[in-house]
Order: sequence, then C-alpha cells, then structure tokens
Amino acid sequence: MKIILALACASALASPALAAGHGPVFGYATPVNSQGEFSFDTGLIGRHGSQGTALTESSQLGYGITPHITVTAVVPFTFGKASLPETRMAGGGEWSSSVAWRFQHSVTSVGRRIESTASLGLVVPGPQQDSGILASLHRAPGVAATLASGLASRSQYLWFGGGYTRFVEAHTDRRPDTISWSGIYGYRPPGLRRDVNHWDYRGFAELTGEHTGRVRSNGVLLPDSETTSLWLGPSILAILKDVAIEGGIQAPLYRDVSASSYGRESIRFAINFSYLKYSSHAY
Amino acid sequence: MKKALALALLALLSSVANAEYRHVNMTVFGMDCAPCAHAIHVSMKGIKGVDTVNVDLNTGLVTISLVPGNTAGMHQFEEAVEKNGFTHKDTTVIVRGKLTGTATAPVLEVVGTSDHYSLTPSAQQPDLTALIGKLVEVNGLLPAAAKGKLPDLLRYKSITEAQ
Repeated sequence: MKIILALACASALASPALAAGHGPVFGYATPVNSQGEFSFDTGLIGRHGSQGTALTESSQLGYGITPHITVTAVVPFTFGKASLPETRMAGGGEWSSSVAWRFQHSVTSVGRRIESTASLGLVVPGPQQDSGILASLHRAPGVAATLASGLASRSQYLWFGGGYTRFVEAHTDRRPDTISWSGIYGYRPPGLRRDVNHWDYRGFAELTGEHTGRVRSNGVLLPDSETTSLWLGPSILAILKDVAIEGGIQAPLYRDVSASSYGRESIRFAINFSYLKYSSHAY
Repeated sequence: MKKALALALLALLSSVANAEYRHVNMTVFGMDCAPCAHAIHVSMKGIKGVDTVNVDLNTGLVTISLVPGNTAGMHQFEEAVEKNGFTHKDTTVIVRGKLTGTATAPVLEVVGTSDHYSLTPSAQQPDLTALIGKLVEVNGLLPAAAKGKLPDLLRYKSITEAQ
C-alpha cells in the first residue's frame, strides 16, 4: 500500500475544479471517492471577455485508493481564442492529475459530517497553445496544492478552500503563480431530501477568487500582467444514484485586471456530467 | 425412485435451521446525498447472501435482509460502510446461532462465521437453561464498537429456539 501511495504521489498532478458528482462546479470542496470507486467526469468550462471566448472541455478520471485517498487524472481540450488571465479554477489546457487526502473526517450524526481534504500534484502543459499574452511563453510543468474544509449535511453545505500553483521557468519564461480561493454555500430544500430512487437536487452559491502573479517573458516580468478577480454565481447539482449533472454561472464581483493585457472578462460558466462506478467488492 | 429420494433429502436438509444473520439494520452516520446511499446499497449487495437492501438517508438506517443459508459475517457489513467513508453505529439484528456458555453467561455462536457474542438481556433475564446447546433465534442490538472492531456484546430483546 505504501508503494502504491508513493507512486500515486510521485505521479500526482493538480486537477482543476471539476465536480466529481458531489460538490460545487467551480470551487473547492472536500468529498473524495469511496474505496474502489471510479468516477468519470466530463465538462465544459467557458470564459467570455471583451477579447474573446475560451472554452475548455475537460475529462477527469478518479479512483478511490482508500476511503480517504483519491487519485485523479485530467485531460482537457481547449478551443476558442481569448486573452485572459491564467486560471486554475475555470479551465485551461494543462494536463493534470492529483492525489487528494481527506485527512480530517468527523462524522457527527445522521447525514452530517465535517471534513478537510488536501491535494498535491503536478501540472504539465498540454499539446495545445494558449492564447493572449500567455501564448508566446515557453511552458513548463508546475506544482499545485489545495486545501478545503467544511460541512456536508442533508440540508446544508459549507466549504472553504484555497489553492496555490507554481510553474517552473522554461527558457527564461515562466507562467504566473496562481493563488485561488473559494467559499461555497449549498442548500437542499426539505421537499427535495428524498430517497435514493429519486433525483437529488441541491443548489450552491459559489464565491471564488484568483490572484495571478506577473508573467515572466524572456526574463522580464511583464508590466500589468498581475491580476486579481473575485467571482460569484449559482450552480445546481442533480444526482440520480450514480449519474450527476451540474451547471453553474459566475459574474465578476471585483476585477483588478489590466484591460489592455487581458480585456474585460465578464462571465464564467460550466456544465459537468459525472458517472460514479462504485465497487461492490465484499471483504 | 432415486430422484424422489434425492428431492426428499433436499427438502429435509433445507428445512433444517441454519445459523446465520436473517436481518441486519445498521444506523450509518455521515451520508448526506443520493450517491452516498447508492454506494452503501452497491457495497451491501456485493456481500454474498444479501437479498435486499434499503437505505433511508433521512434516518441513516440501512435495512438488510439475507437469504437462508448465507454465511455473511458482521465484519463484512461494517467494512462495506467504512470503505465508503462513513461510520456505523448501533445495529439491530435477527440472527440464528448456537447457544453456548452457561445460563448465566450465555454466548451466541453464529456457526458458519467467526462471529460470537456474549448475550445480555435488554430487560428481565429469562431462564436460558433449556436452550443451552440448541440452535436459537435472537432479536437484539449490537452496540457500536471501536472502529475496526466487532461488537462482542449482543443485547437481546427476545431469544427463542429456532424452528
């Protein structure tokens, strides 16, 4: 088991936000896969601004090694052209995977738990070129870490999380460091707290934020390349047994972004499909 | 003629009472959503001998009925809960087994599994002398044990000779 864990850690890459059937569509949350559970996610994340629209079709495979450790791999495909800031929460062309460890798990009552999950990994450039001011950069892998903590219950959800991604320098270029954070509130109305044979709906309010550092190009830190933005919007998750569909939209609350470098990003949206393959293996 | 004898023997054998869990009702903490319940359902159904499983998310109650002749052990039910990241609490069971020990310190051995429980009455202590050494059916409660450990005590509401 230790060898498997070590290998998983060694190959781990950091994943962008994908719902994996349980949580928000943009922000960070704590759920991990059951032991032996495979999860398949595929989704479309879009960003629209004054300098174009960028879309990411992202597919994610997850596997629960133990009840509290899950490894994931993400393969995205990007299309559209836009000059937008680096993001770790709304798509992007990096191939990635991650190992997530639910290191704190307090089950307090029927239908309620408080837990914390950390993830660690690497990010590697995908075969597709970025657009905008990131397009001309030589790209290199990066490391990423996330931490989320919160409450899940039959009626309400509350998660707070943050992440940090740092890329390696390549030929005197370096993509910007990214700090991201989120606060998620979820609610399931009493009439929708139904049994397993009915669709399970819940709504989230997702507040996310990102700060990206300055872009280094040819050894020079580009002026006006640093960004900070804050986004807010609703999302809805619907699950029936082992399939889930989720969609969400966000608008900017705050933008400290150079319009000449990146334009004005005005909307983010995402839709995600999940299939959860649980293990029936009995001990 | 041989066929008739074989069928008669089969019928006789099938009527002999087995030692086994008949019903297991576990209270599970931590399930908040439909996939949680579905995961428990799939895991429980994967245990050989389980007939039906019902999961009530609002009460956390997982109701399991088993087919006659099963050899499912309590550790399998508990591990099915734990591998999904949840916690099991008190469990009520209807279980058949051999009553051993003494009338004042009875033990239930669930033959065919490694499970055995010290029996204690939940109300007034009945006289179990006549049942020692016999196959009995017990309806009772297994209090939650420490994680990874099986309960060693069964608080019974009723105990009768198995038919």
